[in-house]
Amino acid sequence: MDPLSTPKNETKKKLRPASWQVALVAIFLFYMLLPIISTYVFSVATRWDRTILPEGYTLEFYAKAIQASYFTITLRNSFILSISTVLVSLLIIVPTVYWVHTRLGRAKPLLDILMILPFGIPTVVLALALIQVYHFPPLARSPVLLIGAVVVYSMPFMYRPVSNALQALDVQTLTEAGQSLGANIFQVLYRIVIPNIVTGLLSGSLLVFSTVFAEYTLTSLIVGARFKTFPLLLVEFTRINGNIAAAFSVISFTIAWLVSMLILWVGSKGQKATTEGIRAH
Amino acid sequence: MTQKTKIKAHGRSNWLGLLPFLLFCLAFEIVPIIFLLRGSFIEKTTGALTLEHYQALNHPLYINSFMNSIKLSGLTALIGVVLGTFIGYAIYRWPSRGMRETLITLSDVTTNFAGAPLAFAFVVILGLNGVITQFLMQYMHYELYPGFSIYSFSGLILAYVYFQLPLMVLLVLPAFAGIKKDWQESAQSLGADTFQFWWRIGVPVLMPSLIAGLTLLFANAFGAYATAYTLVQAKLSLVTLQIGYMIAGEVRQDQAIGMAMAILSLVIMGLSIAIYQLSTLRARRWSKS
Repeated sequence: MDPLSTPKNETKKKLRPASWQVALVAIFLFYMLLPIISTYVFSVATRWDRTILPEGYTLEFYAKAIQASYFTITLRNSFILSISTVLVSLLIIVPTVYWVHTRLGRAKPLLDILMILPFGIPTVVLALALIQVYHFPPLARSPVLLIGAVVVYSMPFMYRPVSNALQALDVQTLTEAGQSLGANIFQVLYRIVIPNIVTGLLSGSLLVFSTVFAEYTLTSLIVGARFKTFPLLLVEFTRINGNIAAAFSVISFTIAWLVSMLILWVGSKGQKATTEGIRAH
Repeated sequence: MTQKTKIKAHGRSNWLGLLPFLLFCLAFEIVPIIFLLRGSFIEKTTGALTLEHYQALNHPLYINSFMNSIKLSGLTALIGVVLGTFIGYAIYRWPSRGMRETLITLSDVTTNFAGAPLAFAFVVILGLNGVITQFLMQYMHYELYPGFSIYSFSGLILAYVYFQLPLMVLLVLPAFAGIKKDWQESAQSLGADTFQFWWRIGVPVLMPSLIAGLTLLFANAFGAYATAYTLVQAKLSLVTLQIGYMIAGEVRQDQAIGMAMAILSLVIMGLSIAIYQLSTLRARRWSKS
């Protein structure tokens, strides 16, 4: 325990960030946090347009936000949209990525391109393109078309974690082992592969969920008022009542933070699981 | 050998497994884009090939939209790359691991905070009665308005940098890991000072990552819509906003002009993403060895 016996550790522990580092990180934190913190404070402030600190605090705007017509409907619609997108996305992407990893390695570059392509398509362009093609009922401007659009838009977010999880797993060997023991392809998928990549599936699903929950462009341009979601309500209120809009923003920021924390938590669990798995081998 | 022949025999049926996904992509990704391309070159009544929709873009409103979009994306990408690289380096060299991880997590979360809530948060701090506006007025006796407005081009720059900066931090951090410690030591032992090291070794090694960052941030800003829609609306014309108005039917214009705009923006996005891909390939050279 003698500090002198470990001089190297001592100096390392005492290392402090240089002043230029502190300055840069302080600027970064200020820029990233001030808008968010101010919105939280604004949502509980009685009046905050004449003084540096709010004149008083109240929860009145949250009460009003919850009472706003459409509040429950938009929240419900957002949940419906996000959850169905996650499900469709899982259903389309997971078997495909698994298939390519085990049977069709040649198709990996094609898959990469198709999955990353949505990053290169601005959302307004995707909306315009889909509206042009599907202009006939029942698809025209329907929530179903919207789900198709947001699945495409959020595809990269599901693909990366799922593909990485499968890559980390020796899925080829596991599949062959399962099949040699008489399991068919579906049994292999449900009994062996999915339980082993569950952290990847969860991170992907949570990422898709939070992206779609905050989605504004596709929703407003493809369905608009017919299927109003939470972000649409928020934008509407930025023009009607700032305080209530702040309360809505806080709700949306909080959901985003919570989901991000969940992703981190799932990710750390996953890392532990894979390192344990590697050690066990 | 046997495995190879087995794979070949199954080759065709294996592609069948990809079919559902390919059909989905075809229906919601490829075919719509092809329709867009076709629509932008076709005269609606006669069905003949035409360039008139592209020629119609030669109008001050549309030229302005493209200029504004390119200026906004270019400027915020440049600011994001420069600030993000320095801040990224400060984070990379931060002694405490916990702090580093916290800052990376913060970047991870905030880079997804685009859109309406973010735009509104900027109104809260920099609007007419915003927190910073008030602070400057009362303590610095500086009137931010009307010289500056959050609902203008300069306001948009601040809001866009908010999601560009953390993205660049996340992109540049792995690049710093590519600059090996012993390179710096070797350079020092050969008599190079810090500036020489960075000028001759550090910056060239970082360059592909910086170019990748610049192009990705450019594309990121060019395609953005919700933030601009919430903040500036009709006060400033951007490509995405114009296309949005055409879809919503808020302006009486030929949809084919919207398609031509959409195709041009796809070309711009495609070029930036292509440069991005090439530069990340080059950047990977350093992390491999």
